[in-house]
Amino acid sequence: MSQTKTSKPSAVQTTGHAWDGDIQEFNNPLPSWWLWAFYATVVFAVVYWVFYPAWPVAGSYTKGVMNDITFVDSNGKSKTTHWNTRSALLRDLQESKTAVLSRDYLNKVAAASYAEILGDPEMMAFTRSMARGIFGDNCAPCHGSGGAGVIGLFPNLADDDWLWGGSVGDIQATVKNGHFGFMPAFGEVFDDAQLDDIASYVLSLSGHPVDAAASRRGKAIFQTNEGGCYYCHTHQATGLKSQGAANLTDQIWTIADVNGAADLAGKKERVKQVIANGVQRRMPSWSERLSAAQIKLLTVYVHELGGGQ
Amino acid sequence: MGQAGTGSIQQYNYDIIKKFAVMALVWGLLGMATGVYIASELAWPFLNFDIPQITFGRLRPVHTTLVIFGFGGSALFATSYYVVQRTCQTRLYSDWMAVFTFWGWQAAVALGAVSYMFGYTQSREYAEFEWPIDLIILVTWVVYFTLYIQTIRRRSQPHIYVANWFYIAFILVIALLHIFNNLAVPVGLFSMKSYSLFSGVQDAMTQWWYGHNAVGFFLTAAFLGMMYYFVPKQAGRPVYSYRLSIVHFWALAFLYMWVGAHHLHWTALPDWTSTLAATFSIMLLLPSWGGMINGIMTLSGAWEKLRTDPIMLFLITSLSFYGMSTFEGPLMSLKSVNALSHYTDWTIGHVHSGALGWVAMVTFGSFYHMVPRLYDTRIYSTRLIYLHFWLATIGIVLYITSMWVAGIVQGLMLRSFDDYGNLSYTFVESVAFLHKPYVWRALGGLFFVSGVAVMVFNMFMTIRRSRSEAAELEARIAAKMARA
Repeated sequence: MSQTKTSKPSAVQTTGHAWDGDIQEFNNPLPSWWLWAFYATVVFAVVYWVFYPAWPVAGSYTKGVMNDITFVDSNGKSKTTHWNTRSALLRDLQESKTAVLSRDYLNKVAAASYAEILGDPEMMAFTRSMARGIFGDNCAPCHGSGGAGVIGLFPNLADDDWLWGGSVGDIQATVKNGHFGFMPAFGEVFDDAQLDDIASYVLSLSGHPVDAAASRRGKAIFQTNEGGCYYCHTHQATGLKSQGAANLTDQIWTIADVNGAADLAGKKERVKQVIANGVQRRMPSWSERLSAAQIKLLTVYVHELGGGQ
Repeated sequence: MGQAGTGSIQQYNYDIIKKFAVMALVWGLLGMATGVYIASELAWPFLNFDIPQITFGRLRPVHTTLVIFGFGGSALFATSYYVVQRTCQTRLYSDWMAVFTFWGWQAAVALGAVSYMFGYTQSREYAEFEWPIDLIILVTWVVYFTLYIQTIRRRSQPHIYVANWFYIAFILVIALLHIFNNLAVPVGLFSMKSYSLFSGVQDAMTQWWYGHNAVGFFLTAAFLGMMYYFVPKQAGRPVYSYRLSIVHFWALAFLYMWVGAHHLHWTALPDWTSTLAATFSIMLLLPSWGGMINGIMTLSGAWEKLRTDPIMLFLITSLSFYGMSTFEGPLMSLKSVNALSHYTDWTIGHVHSGALGWVAMVTFGSFYHMVPRLYDTRIYSTRLIYLHFWLATIGIVLYITSMWVAGIVQGLMLRSFDDYGNLSYTFVESVAFLHKPYVWRALGGLFFVSGVAVMVFNMFMTIRRSRSEAAELEARIAAKMARA
C-alpha cells in the first residue's frame, strides 16, 4: 500500500488512550534532528566544563585546563591563575589594545606640564577624548553635559567668567578641593526699602538705568561697614576670587537670573531676593574619587570649555 | 455515582472556572494598561507627576504582579481546573477548596499590588510580596495542590493525560520556590517589613533560583500544560508524539533547576556556578523546543485550519514565539553575550517575547476555546478574534524590535572605544538614545492592550448572550408547561 507524505503521520499508531472524548496521542519517534541537536548541546557543555571552572568537588571546584590568566597584581608582581572573572577583568584592564593605547597617552599627559599639554595638539585631542567621559559621568549631573550650568544653582563653566579663578592652577584647585560658595542673608538685617536701594546700586554697576537717588543710598550701605558688601565684592565690585565673590560690574549673572527678567522692576526684584536670602552653594572635593591624572585632564578640559585664563 | 459521557455541565464544577477566567481578564486588562503607563513614564518622565505611589519604581512590580500572578495565575487556575476535570472525567475533589483558592489568590494579588504602591516590598523580583501576603499565598497553594492531586486520584481514566503532568510539576515546584525564596524574619508581628534569612551572594542566588524557575515552571511548564490540552482539542488531531512529551517533560524539569544563576553572570557569584548555569541553559534549548515541536506538529496535515480558525492562529503563533524566546534565552545566558545584553532593555524585550508572545497568546487562544463552552454558547464575534489577533501580533513585534534596538545599541554604546582607547559615550548619552525606542515600545504595548480590550468586550458579549439564551430557553419551557 502506497502512502503520500502528508498522510504519513496517521500511519503511526496512537497510544490507544483517549481523553475527554477525542484527545489522542500518536507515538511518533523523537525527531532525529532534535535528538542530535540535543546531543550537540551536551557536547558543547562538556567541552565548556573542561576549559572553565565548572563542578564543585570536595570543598573546591574543577578549575578548567589550558585557560590560565596572567596579570599583574596590586604589588606589581606577575601572577598566573586559572580562568576567573576577576582576573580576566584585570588582564583586560592591563593588556587589552584599548587599555594599552589609553594608558600610554595618559602616562604621557600625566608627566607633562599644563603648558606642554595646552601646546600639543595630540595630547589635547587625547585629553578631550578622555575628559569628555570623566566630565560626562561626574560633572554633567550638575553642570550639564556642555558645562552650561543652571542659573541660581550651578555655575556656567562654558563662559569666560570665573568665580574662583580661571587659570589652570585655580581650576585644578577647585576640582581637587571643592568649594563652599557663601554669601550671608541680609533679609533680617535691612528693611525692604534698604534692600531695594542696595539692589538698585548693584544694577547700576552693570549700567542699568536705575533711580539715581536709590542707587546713591544703596552705595552708602554697600561701600561702608553698614552693609560690608565690599569685603568680598571689593570697592570696585569686581569680586574677590579667594571668596568666589561675583563680579557685579559685568552682564553675567550666576545666582539672580537678571537677564531672564522682562523689565527693570523684575531685575531689581531678583537681585533683591539674592541679597535677602544669601547664597549657599557647595561643590564637592574630587580628590578622593578621581586620580591626580584624571583631575589634570579635567582641568584642561574645563579650562578649554570656557575661555580659560 | 454514574460518570458516563463527556462534559455535561452538572458533572463538572464550571462555576469556579468561570470565576477565575473572568478575573484573569480583569487583571490582564488592568496589568497590561499599567504596563503601557510605566512604559510611557520611561519615555516621558513627567508622567511620574512626583506622586510616589505612581512612580515607575512602585508601579513596575504592580504591573508584573498583575500580569504574571493576576492574569497568568488566574488563567492557570481556570484552565487547570478545566483540564483536570475533563481529562480525568471527574468533578473537582472539593467545591469549597476550589472557592478557597479563588479568594486566597485574588486577595494576594490585590493586596500585593496595593502594598507595592505604598512602598511595602521585599525587593525580590517577582517575589515582592511582603510576608503576610506570602503566608496567604502559601495556604492557598497548599489547598490548590491538595485539591489537584485528590481530583486526579479520583479520575475515571486509567492514564493521566500529559497536560496534567505539566500542571502538577508547576504546582509542586512553585510551592518549593515560594517557600525557600521567602524565608524571612518579620521585624515585628504587626509590621509589614521583613528581612531575608539569606545574605549576600547566597541571597541573590536564592532569589534567581526562584526567579528563573518561576519563568520555567509558572510561565513555561504550566502554559505547556495548557497547550497540551487546547492545541490537540482545537485542532481535532492527536498529539504528535507521546514519546517526545515524556522526554521533553523530564528534560525540562531536570535542566531548568540549574540555570537561575545565569541572571548573575559577572557578579560576586563563584565562576563555577556561572558556568553550570550557562551550560545547562544551552542544554535546555532542545527540551524547551520539544513542546513547540509537539504543538506545531500536531497541526501538521491540517494546516488549512490556520486559514479559517483564528483560535488556531493564536495557538500556533504562541508556539512560534515560545520557540523564538527559548532560543534567545540560552543565547543570552552565555557569559559573553550576557556581558552585552545584561542590564539593557534586551532583557526586557526577551521577557516580553515570552510573556506577550507565548504566555498571553496561548491563554487568549485557550480562552476563546474554553469560555463559550463554559457558558454553553458560541463566541459573540469571530471577526473580533481576528482583530484581537492582529492587534496583539503588531503590538508584540513593535515591542520586541524596539527593545532589541534599545538593548543592543545601548550595549554597543557602552563598550565602544575611540581612537585613543577611551570610551566613546558617557552613560547618559546611552540613556538619551533610549527615548525613541521607548516611545515605540509604549506604542506596541498600546496595540497589545487594545487587543485585550477587544477580547474583554467579545467575552462580555458572549457571556451576556448565554444568559439571554438561557432565559429564552427557560421561557420556552415555561410556556410549554403552561400549555400542557
